[in-house]
Amino acid sequence: MISADLNIILPEILLSVFAMAALVGAVYTGKDKVAPALLWATAALFLALAFWIGVTGEGTQVAFNGMFVNDGFARFAKVVILVSAAAVLLMSEGYMARRGLLRFEYPLLVTLAVVGMMMMVSAGDLMALYMGLELQSLSLYVVASLRRDSAKSTEAGLKYFVLGALSSGLLLYGASLTYGYAGTTLFSGIIQTATEGSMPVGLLIGLVMLISGLAFKVSAVPFHMWTPDVYEGSPTPVTAFFATAPKVAAMALFARVMFDAFGNATADWGQVIALLSVLSMFLGSIAAIGQRDIKRLMAYSSIAHMGYALMGLAAGTELGVQAMLIYMAIYVTMNVGTFAFILSMERDGQPVTDIESLGMYSTKEPGKALAMLVLLFSLAGVPPLVGFFGKFYVLRAAYEGGLAWLAVAGVVASVIGAFYYLRIVFYMYFGEDREDALDGGKSPVLWGFLMVSAVIMVVGVVNLFGIEGAAQAAAATLVN
Amino acid sequence: MTSESSFLPIIALLPFLGALIPGVMIRAGRTATATFTAVPTVLALVMLGVLAPGVLNGTVYTFSIPWLPQLGLEAAFFLDGLGLMFACMILGVGLLITLYARYYLSGEDPVGQFYTYLLLFQGAMLGIVISDNILLLLIFWELTSLSSFLLIGYWKHLPEGRQGARMALTVTGAGGLAMIGGMLILGNIAGSYNLTDILAAGDLIKASDWYTPAVILILLGAFTKSAQFPFHFWLPHAMAAPTPVSAYLHSATMVKAGVFLMARMWPALSGTELWFYLVATTGLVTMVIAAVIALFKDDLKGLLAFSTVSHLGLLTMLLGFGTEAAAIAAVFHILNHLTFKAALFMTAGIIDHEAHTRDIKRLGGLAKLMPITAVIGIVAALSMAGIPLFNGFLSKELMLEEASHTNWWENPWIVPVLATVGALFSVAYSLRFIFHVFGGPVRDDYPSKPHDPPMGMWLSPAFLCIFVVLIGVAPFLAEPVVNMAASAVTGHTTHAHLKIWHGLTPALYMSIIAVAGGAVLLLLHRPLDAAWIKAGPFYAKSAFDAVISGCVSLSRVISDNLHNGAISRYLAIFTAATVTAGYMAYLGGGIAPQTREMLPIAPVFAVGWVLLVCATGVVVFQHHMRYRALVVLGVIGLMVSAGFVFLSAPDLALTQISVETVTIMLLLLALHFLPKTTPVEKDTPRRLLDGAVALAAGVGVASLAYAFMTRDLDSISFYHLANSYKEGGGTNVVNVILVDFRGYDTYGEIIVLGIAGLVIFALMEALLSGPAGARLRNSGYNFDRSHDRHPLMMVVSTRVMMPIALMVGVYIFLRGHNQPGGGFVAGLVFSIALLMQYMASGFAWTMRRQQFEYHAMIGWGVVIAGLTGAGAWLSGTPFLTSAFGYVHIPPIEEFELATAALFDLGVFLCVLGAVMLMLYSLSRMARHAGETVNLEPLDYDPSRPAKMVEKGKA
Repeated sequence: MISADLNIILPEILLSVFAMAALVGAVYTGKDKVAPALLWATAALFLALAFWIGVTGEGTQVAFNGMFVNDGFARFAKVVILVSAAAVLLMSEGYMARRGLLRFEYPLLVTLAVVGMMMMVSAGDLMALYMGLELQSLSLYVVASLRRDSAKSTEAGLKYFVLGALSSGLLLYGASLTYGYAGTTLFSGIIQTATEGSMPVGLLIGLVMLISGLAFKVSAVPFHMWTPDVYEGSPTPVTAFFATAPKVAAMALFARVMFDAFGNATADWGQVIALLSVLSMFLGSIAAIGQRDIKRLMAYSSIAHMGYALMGLAAGTELGVQAMLIYMAIYVTMNVGTFAFILSMERDGQPVTDIESLGMYSTKEPGKALAMLVLLFSLAGVPPLVGFFGKFYVLRAAYEGGLAWLAVAGVVASVIGAFYYLRIVFYMYFGEDREDALDGGKSPVLWGFLMVSAVIMVVGVVNLFGIEGAAQAAAATLVN
Repeated sequence: MTSESSFLPIIALLPFLGALIPGVMIRAGRTATATFTAVPTVLALVMLGVLAPGVLNGTVYTFSIPWLPQLGLEAAFFLDGLGLMFACMILGVGLLITLYARYYLSGEDPVGQFYTYLLLFQGAMLGIVISDNILLLLIFWELTSLSSFLLIGYWKHLPEGRQGARMALTVTGAGGLAMIGGMLILGNIAGSYNLTDILAAGDLIKASDWYTPAVILILLGAFTKSAQFPFHFWLPHAMAAPTPVSAYLHSATMVKAGVFLMARMWPALSGTELWFYLVATTGLVTMVIAAVIALFKDDLKGLLAFSTVSHLGLLTMLLGFGTEAAAIAAVFHILNHLTFKAALFMTAGIIDHEAHTRDIKRLGGLAKLMPITAVIGIVAALSMAGIPLFNGFLSKELMLEEASHTNWWENPWIVPVLATVGALFSVAYSLRFIFHVFGGPVRDDYPSKPHDPPMGMWLSPAFLCIFVVLIGVAPFLAEPVVNMAASAVTGHTTHAHLKIWHGLTPALYMSIIAVAGGAVLLLLHRPLDAAWIKAGPFYAKSAFDAVISGCVSLSRVISDNLHNGAISRYLAIFTAATVTAGYMAYLGGGIAPQTREMLPIAPVFAVGWVLLVCATGVVVFQHHMRYRALVVLGVIGLMVSAGFVFLSAPDLALTQISVETVTIMLLLLALHFLPKTTPVEKDTPRRLLDGAVALAAGVGVASLAYAFMTRDLDSISFYHLANSYKEGGGTNVVNVILVDFRGYDTYGEIIVLGIAGLVIFALMEALLSGPAGARLRNSGYNFDRSHDRHPLMMVVSTRVMMPIALMVGVYIFLRGHNQPGGGFVAGLVFSIALLMQYMASGFAWTMRRQQFEYHAMIGWGVVIAGLTGAGAWLSGTPFLTSAFGYVHIPPIEEFELATAALFDLGVFLCVLGAVMLMLYSLSRMARHAGETVNLEPLDYDPSRPAKMVEKGKA
């Protein structure tokens, strides 16, 4: 009985054991000297697990009386989370090492966060949800303030923590209201009480509080306030991490709660999420226009992108979930490449995040500039790059889900949003030639990630690497 | 699908494959590169030639293979009359440009790159005109934006090239994105993303509710691409590109894409009022405005650019009319405009190349210096002016004819008059092109002495001029092509009869007025130009810049105000949003009627409530004085505990009271090291706002509580009440929940508590050894202190209290399972007992008498609880299942023993250890700050005067 349960959560157990063993091991051996090796080992483990989860695992398995669900949806999200976390880890080594930030805790905190994320996407119960969420969040709070001698980094961590605590409180409040009305914390039990039209008001308020808490995690407007400051303040690799795996996890969790627990009341939450979506898209797009700092810009960009992903969710259909998953997978890929570029932005060995410093970058580094151009166009959703397909999927899902107004609003927001992506392209190709130009950036790892990501954006046009089918199967397990 | 159809994807792919060639070939020299660049174009043209007879006979070739079918995307191509005409134009002019560019570009330019971009662009353009799937069309559409961006930005060193590229990219890229929405709507209404289906579903689309947004979004794409007012400004600024690019993109291809799309969508979208007023009006306005501006442009290419905008306006207007005759005129003019405008651009390029200037005011008299170029330029310009015997005349006549009987808002004059004005200015700038560039005397101040270029350069425009004249003289030659394309546009066979002489029609009079007026205008050009410059015409570029900078500042205002970095603002927004959301949910849910009566309020409770409210209010206003705030906090805590008692929750009350006491004590000790006051952080209005937000949240929570307490609910309490004795062996439900029902949680919680204690300890360790410790040591710590830190009365009373307190703790612990109490509260009571000793007698003194290590206590607590839980395995039940039984040892009465009590012991130890460890950490800090350590229980020696004690310390 329990061994069967343990078997189902074996990947999570493996990761946790690895994290704890490595933590103790590193303390008693070389401490920070083993950090690079640990980082590579962690990334390798992530990839191995991703492969394992992706290849094995058929059907839906439930462990611990329904608290933990291992289904196609969870597996899809886990693979994306693990792969993107591994990618970000590998990208961050050089940057962190050169700034003395490569402490052995760094890969381990990331590991713990990833364990939390895997719990989140597999949660079948409000308790499991909260546990996963907090494991993830607490690790992230610490990672955000990893650069302890920088006031900005510390401030970022603190802000993130205080606001995160508030959101956790809200989530708990919602969870307890839900529990009080549904009589159970199991999603499979809640769904029986939460039916369309006959939701008790307490359950409804519980639902709204849950959504508020989750919206914070995906940084949807108006719960997004932490994003720009945290993105800007954290060390860039950490920002890259924030922009990828946790977003997928939170979005997947969002979908999980909405469909598994409140799937019979789609109309009740569809409108709320549609509102979050439209606010996020517009605020993200508009506020990004004025940014001078590329990390801050990426923060607003991520807010806008979450708006699009939420659009798929708001549709409340299988196509919507599929669209959301595809969107997130594409978004993560684009972000990995973009951050590989941002990480390589240096002048005299110091990181630079000023957008205008990219002036005429194309003359010095034509290859990298072109790759970045491809990524930025893809982020803007310009056809034929892969970003367009993600966007079109969600737009279509929204339209067919009866939210045509949302789809049109999304299009308008994407028109606004295109402006700031193109502005970066403009600086790279036509900006002022600057005397304090950026260094070339020699890291082969970053170069590799940038190029691979850009190539994916172009080649993926052929068949999206078959991700469609996988996402559809994943969505089908969630929506039924 | 016929076998010829499979040419279609090959035609579409050829340029893309060909784009690889120049990169490989570039080392072989310009000529070889150009030759090989031409190969895919020629091949594609040959294939089109194979298909052409079929298309002329009305066959529509289609080819499709599935590609992301879920998305509705299909690699579907089809070739009908319109597509064939455009495809031939694109490839044909592409070929001419390839030849022209070979001579135009110099050896130092990266020619290979240029040809690669050119072929990419050509492929994208070709894709647009032969796609059968609107998503595929979208893809090619944006691909043209992308590749044209690369082409326009080809000469990066020219500063005006930068602005141009940026505008072109921003405007057309954004337009394309808007079109995505339009296509999505169209596809959904028609139930298919295939153009053939959509065109067939025209009536359905026009009847749909979403017709208007679809039209607007699609037109945004088309208008931006075809530089229609008010998006016309980007085109002239894209002229900084090398002339071959301008000639290709801005005469024949890219800007025509918008027109093509309108023509393509004509059966599906046109014919409604919305379409007429949007499209025809935009076209008309663009035509007139651009023509006026063109007359006053001194840059040759600028003049041509605005003339292009004007002619695109003309085409748009024709398509907007929605009649068959207008469609024929539009198709015909597309063809004609291509021939003369491409020739003109190339001529302008030749002049620029030879004379090294494009400024009309510095040119003149070129007819004598470069006769071949002059002939080409004059022929093309006359066609542009619409002079008979040149092809421009024919289509312009058709346009004027259509305009002459079009009502606009029931006014028959507006369209014809404006159309004539447009034609008039068109004549004027065409004549200006002829007379001010080629006419007049030869000058001696050209930047470079101009002469005719090598044949390779003038061959292309000359070739186009042959068509200009041929069609102009024998218009029936173009009839089959025009009919073919127009049939495809309108969806049914058309019969155009193109001839030079239509009789004395209104169009002819309008034409005559236009030519005469144009000539007059040219004569008056000098004074008019002066007036134009004096008037300081409105530049769209500055408007664009103003709009952009306006947007940027607006965005900054939004983001700076919203994300100003102040966490209080973030919290306020967060809270306000949640309250609003909750309120909406409340409104949406509809609440059940109240089922419980309000209880009468006893005076004592009313007093307690007033006290609570007052105390809370005092905290709000007095929190700057920290000690005072702490005192009031204590009051609040006590009142809350009393509230729990009132609400029949003795367990909670007990826990609350002990937690309250411990925390207040710890806080009191901690406050010692902090400033006595908190700075006032905000001005009054902000505080009022914050107050309002807080009040809203408070009211929200309170009303929620009120609503729930006045209704009978299906609460989970009943389950626990019914089962806690049966399953957990205890009558105290809260305790049973803690140690049994949710034993896992409690187990987790005590671990967390233990970790918290350890973390505080560890943090303090790190803190005190770092710079903060040094600061603390140097802090002086010299404010007034009481002369006896450990007052006699307190020492004595705490010692007396100690055993009693411990007994209470034991008692609470033991009764916990059935009565209010339990390990948690007992742990806190023990902590209070010990805390009192520390406070009264000093830390070191107490420490010496302390037998247990706190770290170990936490560890043992966790271990005991864990073992208890694991013990359940022995009896084959899951982890943490509790067991209980009754024991009877003779002298004592029968009593109950539950494994849960053992678990509770773990909880107890953990709580005690954690709290004491926190205290220990605080004390370490105190010593760092210079607190002296007393080893005696009393540091006040009555035999010595107080002052001396203090002095001794200092």
